[in-house]
Amino acid sequence: MIEGADRDLLARSMAHAVESSTGEALDVALGEVGWRDALVDDPRTAVSLLFELQGRTGASSSSLDLVLATGLGRDLAPVAAVVLPKMGGVEAPGRARGEALDADGIGTPGLARASTTIVVCETDGVVECRMVSTDLLTVRPISGLDPSLGLVRVTATDVPGTASPLPAGAWANGVALGQRAVAHELIGASRAMLALARDHAVERIQFDQPIAGFQAVRHRLADAHVAVETADAAIDAAWDDGSSLAAAAAKAIAGRSARLVARHAQQVLAGIGFTTEHPLHRYVTRVLVLDGLLGDARSLTRSLGGELLRARQLPAMLPL
Amino acid sequence: MELDEFRSTLDSWLDDHHDELAAHHDPHASLDDDMAHLSAVKRAAYDAGWMRWGWPERVGGLGGSSLLRAYLGEALASRDLVEPGIYSMTEVLAPTMIDYASPELAAEMVPRLLRGDETWCQGFSEPSTGSNLAALSCRAVRTDGGWRVNGQKVWTSLAQYAQRCVLLVRTGTPESAHRGISALFVDMDSPGISVRPLETMHGVEEFSEVFFDDVDVPDARMLGDEAQGWAVAMDLLPYERSTALWHRGAYLHQRFGRFLTDVPNGAVDASDVGEVFQQLFALRARSRTTQHRMHAGDPLGAETSVDKILLATTEQALYDLVLDGLAADLRVGAGSSADRWRSEYLYSRAATIYGGSAEIQRNIVARRLLGLGSDR
Repeated sequence: MIEGADRDLLARSMAHAVESSTGEALDVALGEVGWRDALVDDPRTAVSLLFELQGRTGASSSSLDLVLATGLGRDLAPVAAVVLPKMGGVEAPGRARGEALDADGIGTPGLARASTTIVVCETDGVVECRMVSTDLLTVRPISGLDPSLGLVRVTATDVPGTASPLPAGAWANGVALGQRAVAHELIGASRAMLALARDHAVERIQFDQPIAGFQAVRHRLADAHVAVETADAAIDAAWDDGSSLAAAAAKAIAGRSARLVARHAQQVLAGIGFTTEHPLHRYVTRVLVLDGLLGDARSLTRSLGGELLRARQLPAMLPL
Repeated sequence: MELDEFRSTLDSWLDDHHDELAAHHDPHASLDDDMAHLSAVKRAAYDAGWMRWGWPERVGGLGGSSLLRAYLGEALASRDLVEPGIYSMTEVLAPTMIDYASPELAAEMVPRLLRGDETWCQGFSEPSTGSNLAALSCRAVRTDGGWRVNGQKVWTSLAQYAQRCVLLVRTGTPESAHRGISALFVDMDSPGISVRPLETMHGVEEFSEVFFDDVDVPDARMLGDEAQGWAVAMDLLPYERSTALWHRGAYLHQRFGRFLTDVPNGAVDASDVGEVFQQLFALRARSRTTQHRMHAGDPLGAETSVDKILLATTEQALYDLVLDGLAADLRVGAGSSADRWRSEYLYSRAATIYGGSAEIQRNIVARRLLGLGSDR
């Protein structure tokens, strides 16, 4: 556990790194401030601090690779990357064909710089890890709603990879840790959108008074605040609980909350918030893409409901 | 007593005594039966010590963290031994007495409430002032040695069963708003009090109109000082949104579990079921944080409005799902299970109205938590 003065110091140096750099420069800066070591010592502290900051500032990095690798129980050398599931999904991106494999997934910007990439394959219920030379993968930039994330589409057909065993449940652990990370980023971005809308409501004068005085505006912002606090409580509980189910629930809640906050913030910011002169638009498109990483709210929710209807009983709840 | 030890010893006690604690009537069918059963459960839990943990020794408690009270209510609600709406009044009113009554009065009265010997009610709302609590007009004027009360209250839960009432009255000028309110602890058998129960749409006479006609209340029954009533009310309301809310969340979980066993195949969309589970998960997560803040001695305030908004939203979402999933049974089914789902569905419609409406809670969030200034 990283606590007290050590935590404050780490938080300060990380805040400086995230506020002053993004992309590859941020990956380098995070290495310098000891974030990678922190991730090994205390994943909860390292993940929650970094991804909240990324969400709040709009900076991006390739750290999700390291988070996933940590969840998989792999020591990720600085040169390696991990292929994420396809947009919206949580399934392992690879499929083994004997010694070779096929893959279809997403990569962070760091993938292009990695010499070796981890492709987790699930084939007829067997999950295994394959190390693939990155230059054998087809890597295309994703522009889409938020090109600034620098994500890439990764595909492969019949490429060789070195098999490397994975402990049981490793993929579910990796996904769960990644989901917690993305949930924090969604919450950070939600806080930023709410702050922008709140400040605008207090400053913007219409009908001779700040629009913050109108109940229609106040209640939108109140609902946005409730949504942020709800997602925040859920992610804390997901860490305390430690289960995959709780991580997926917290990710879905964070995704749904972020979309609600985006809608209310956009409406309160009105015309100016619809222009590229105002920063809101960057957060709006960012959260839409983040919602799709490692399972979007809709798929995660439907799959959870399906499990509950099959089991016909509630899972154990986090005790008081 | 630590929480873990409390949890395991209480759980085995509840296992061992389940038959004598379980309701032997249809829950919700008759409030008289529900109230009698509640008293019996509280008495048994008090005599075995459970009901005394988490309360200070000076009011008959055994000390320990408020988490113990939270867990007791959770355990009782999860096992369907109590309905939190009537059980958790203790959580709202006992802390007020402990904080504001004279030590002698608190020591005399609080054990009666904990033991289930007495029911207390909360006289806040009035016909002309529902959400606008600070405008209340039920009046108390000074007499020799006390106060004389005239006026009317409404939506007073369980007034027809209550031996005592925590009553907000105006002791200042009519224009004094929140500055001229005082709180009194009134015996409900005082001459001049009349109670008229109101039948609700879910078929339970849960609350009443209460009329005060020259009711004399001794000085010693003032809670806090004269004109301190607003502080009493503001300190009480967060309790309503903390431990009582935790109990209600546990009850909703239990009912959701029951729904999962009752719902016919194919009657509901998996997405809707998943979303209600997530709402219950988030409510529990939020309320759990509040319980731990209370345990740490942090003052509770406006942020508990978030808990209340979440509870009301979740409760209505759950019962909307129940209506979809048990469509025919809830609408026209016979038998005690259908009656209970019907009653609970209708009661859930009030979740955004009672205890500070959804609009009032959002006003509190806007003003106090987001700093949006006044809306007037």
